[in-house]
Amino acid sequence: MANIDSERSPSAGSDILNGLGRAFTKTWQAVAMPAAAVLVSMGCGALLLALNGFNGWDIFTVMLSGVFQDTRSIAEVLLKATPLILIGVGLCVAFRCSIWNIGAEGQLYAGAVATTAVGIAFPGLTSWIYVPLVILAGALAGAAWAAIAGLLKIYFRASEIVTTIMLNYIAIIATSWLVTGPLKDAAAAYPQSARLLREAWMPKILPPTRLHIGILIAIALAIAAYIFLFRSSAGYAVRVVGISPHAARYAGMSVSRNILLAISISGAMAGLAGAFEIAGVTFRLYQNISPGYGFEGIAVALLANNNPVGAIFSGTLFAVLRSGSEIMQINAQVPQVLVSVIQGIVILSVVGFGVYRFRSARPSE
Amino acid sequence: MDDIVTLGFIATTLGATWRLAAPLVYASIGEVFSERAGVLNIGIEGVMLVGAFAGFATVFWTGSLALGLLMAVAGGALMGLLFGLFTITIKADQIVVGAAMNLLGLGLTAFLYRTYFVSTGRGVEIAPSLNLPGLSDLPFVGEAFFRHNILVYGTLLVVIAAVFILHRTSFGLTLRAVGEHPKAVDIAGRSVALYRYGAVLIGCSLAGLGGAYLTLGHSNQFVEGIASGRGFIALAVVVFARWSPIGAFFVSLLFGLFYALQLQLQAQPALHIPYQALQALPYVMTIAALILVRNRVDTPSMLGVPYRKG
Amino acid sequence: MNLTRRACLAGAAGLLLAGISASAMAQDGEFKMGLLVPGSVSEEGWNRIGYNALKGVEEQLGAKVSYVELQQNPASFEKAFRDYASQGFNVILGHGFEFQDAALTVAPEFPDTTFLISSSYIHEDNVIGLNTDTSQPFYLMGYIAAKMGKKAGLVGGMEIPPIQQAFEGFVNGAKGANPAFEVNQVYIGNFTDISAAKEAALGMIAQGADFVVPNASGATVGGYQAIAESGPDVKTFSIFSDFTEVAPKNILGLYVADYAQGVVRIVKGIMEGQRPESNVDFGLADADVMKFTLSDEAAHPVPEELRKEIEDVKAKIAAGEIVTRQK
Repeated sequence: MANIDSERSPSAGSDILNGLGRAFTKTWQAVAMPAAAVLVSMGCGALLLALNGFNGWDIFTVMLSGVFQDTRSIAEVLLKATPLILIGVGLCVAFRCSIWNIGAEGQLYAGAVATTAVGIAFPGLTSWIYVPLVILAGALAGAAWAAIAGLLKIYFRASEIVTTIMLNYIAIIATSWLVTGPLKDAAAAYPQSARLLREAWMPKILPPTRLHIGILIAIALAIAAYIFLFRSSAGYAVRVVGISPHAARYAGMSVSRNILLAISISGAMAGLAGAFEIAGVTFRLYQNISPGYGFEGIAVALLANNNPVGAIFSGTLFAVLRSGSEIMQINAQVPQVLVSVIQGIVILSVVGFGVYRFRSARPSE
Repeated sequence: MDDIVTLGFIATTLGATWRLAAPLVYASIGEVFSERAGVLNIGIEGVMLVGAFAGFATVFWTGSLALGLLMAVAGGALMGLLFGLFTITIKADQIVVGAAMNLLGLGLTAFLYRTYFVSTGRGVEIAPSLNLPGLSDLPFVGEAFFRHNILVYGTLLVVIAAVFILHRTSFGLTLRAVGEHPKAVDIAGRSVALYRYGAVLIGCSLAGLGGAYLTLGHSNQFVEGIASGRGFIALAVVVFARWSPIGAFFVSLLFGLFYALQLQLQAQPALHIPYQALQALPYVMTIAALILVRNRVDTPSMLGVPYRKG
Repeated sequence: MNLTRRACLAGAAGLLLAGISASAMAQDGEFKMGLLVPGSVSEEGWNRIGYNALKGVEEQLGAKVSYVELQQNPASFEKAFRDYASQGFNVILGHGFEFQDAALTVAPEFPDTTFLISSSYIHEDNVIGLNTDTSQPFYLMGYIAAKMGKKAGLVGGMEIPPIQQAFEGFVNGAKGANPAFEVNQVYIGNFTDISAAKEAALGMIAQGADFVVPNASGATVGGYQAIAESGPDVKTFSIFSDFTEVAPKNILGLYVADYAQGVVRIVKGIMEGQRPESNVDFGLADADVMKFTLSDEAAHPVPEELRKEIEDVKAKIAAGEIVTRQK
């Protein structure tokens, strides 16, 4: 029950600002130790590099100076952070409800497909209508794809861990079929969709960089998700179901409805991530639209202790690592895969530092 | 369509089924041990990669298949030790640490492969197919069942050993109790942590072996990410098989069958289905199967829950 | 806690200084070439070909080179192009058609940089497509298969243009020799699953194919293993790299694309101030780039009279008299 106690029960609107302030303070406190953990992981990474004949320290300085070199490189980090934050925030909600949604990757693909299908279909719409429309399409598709797993859990008690993994594969394979078949760009030989109509492109917020409005939406949604989870009665119900379905039932809450709600929210967020990648970055659907954002998002949520505001920071951190690894390879020819090792060590050292106090939401003894 | 259902086709498909199922059998039976003791390890994909790489590198340098398999098991066990350290001793969330295992396994193996292997040319010698006098030459049956290598037949050994250990030894009994009523085990004076370590080490060693099957028992090369999602499929197998080793064996075979079928059916020009539909078949069938069998509540009740004394 | 924060700040300041010196170092007059590959250069396959081209430019032209692997993630392409271009790289090779869009977006900002795109037919100012027409050597393989074999099987990775083109060439070649010859195709759906490639090839062989050619980048080798294990009657060709060691009895010949030579030739021109004026399509006519040789080691080598025929077909393809695929 500790989760609920620590976050207090829902209260009136006047409390919200206050609560947000507290959330940020708490989050900031929660950032310092992970920062130390990150330094430790960097150290481990440098050691690994040194053991294999690279100069570890030089490589990390190259990496970080590259990441924070100028406005453009910072914008690129935020661009990468956007899907990670979105997925991380959504998974915070699912995980708080004890729904182990491993399927954000597939939900991202579902969102990307829907955004593409809508974004090439309606010439003549103005941006004011078209952009929200494609984004909405992506979110709905992601939610629907996730809801399949939710319904299977509710009606057939099928483990969502299994079904979401299967739905990942199905979504990715279906995308591969779509870009070589029905959605294929008629004008090109390549397996890619046609370009989204201009009016469906998300507005940029920091020209000439590629940064688009998605990052602001992601941050706003993170805050909204925090308010939902910890300051609304609906979110309270989601968390109670996560901690004890029996208690929830006893209190007259519908377990099924909350499971469906939580998994659909997480799916919608992953679908949004897919929508933003299409309508804000690539403007076309490809076979490999995500380099594994859906899986990385799991770590983003968990690192943030399933706190949506925290996911803003952990998502950004993972984006820094991702961006840095590309620079590291360009400038020091270190295999980019090293970033996976470092991400792994980041998680382990955060756990090791004992900062990570995610209380198991399942019955404890 | 006539040439689809011929004896030859069936024999080939069955042979391929077992070969493609073998890595899943090892990994999923390992995971059965782990989960029966209450430890959910979603990091087996990473452990398999470590096994695949450790086995490959050892055989590449020493030429000894036995040593390679040993190192693959050792590599898996090492990952298991790390996993146990964080989930059992530090009591961190198992999903979190499992996710870290996947990242570590993928990154470390790819990084080391990249650093130490530029070109592997011919690769390594894989375990040779056994020639069973009389049996291997039987028409159809021979191809389907009697021309495999020792790592494929090893799956039978593993399933028998697993059933025996889990159900016929006091170690197995206690191990299962740890997953259901850890407190009772604790009160009886046995260490819950020790049993969980044991289960995780067995689980990860087998996952390492499953990984090594890919580089030493089937193909003779290592490629980054060679496990290609088999670790995740193994997780599905365990749930589907309701935490039973025999179940895990047959569900793995079912997956192997879907996998073999999709590769075989693609080559049938008479079938005008997009090949992606065939590729999605194993995954769609898993979901269908879950709906059909309706998951009873066989889940170890303490699955995923760290044990705290007192 | 304070200590940590101070340490962080100090660290950040140090990094900043390091960053300045690092970017200052890059300001010299060397000729630099960058490479973007969609996957890992450690695989024997597509990505290695791009890497070898880069190495060729380094060794033969003395250029400073660098590469980055982008995990087939389209969102990261634009940034990588810009990273290289803004550091003054003269030539950037995007190794795959999927890089075309990103190059077209970035290129106008860097008119002095040449953007080469593999497996593309683009030509827009400083963005130039380079294609190796793999359908041509595959046409020859298909032709030989139809003359020597009963049934052929092709194992592909993912259904992308370089592989589709190759297979189209094979099918056309087979039809050119024997319109009734059967050719089947299987895609394994990725480039990492060696086991799947192996089983796909075994399956085809079991169904009567005696001529199998795998083309799945890193997973290709699985196909050759299957062929080698199936005995000397199954025939194949070694493609892109030399796989003779894996299946010495089965390999009838080698198709090696020395893409590096082609790229070196183009980059040398750029170094001397001559950018290609159209897109480049390497074929059998470019003997330095595309090498198709027959081997004598195989258990059933290509018979003498067929070799003459092949030489004839090869000449016709090079001359443009035989079209190996739809353009």
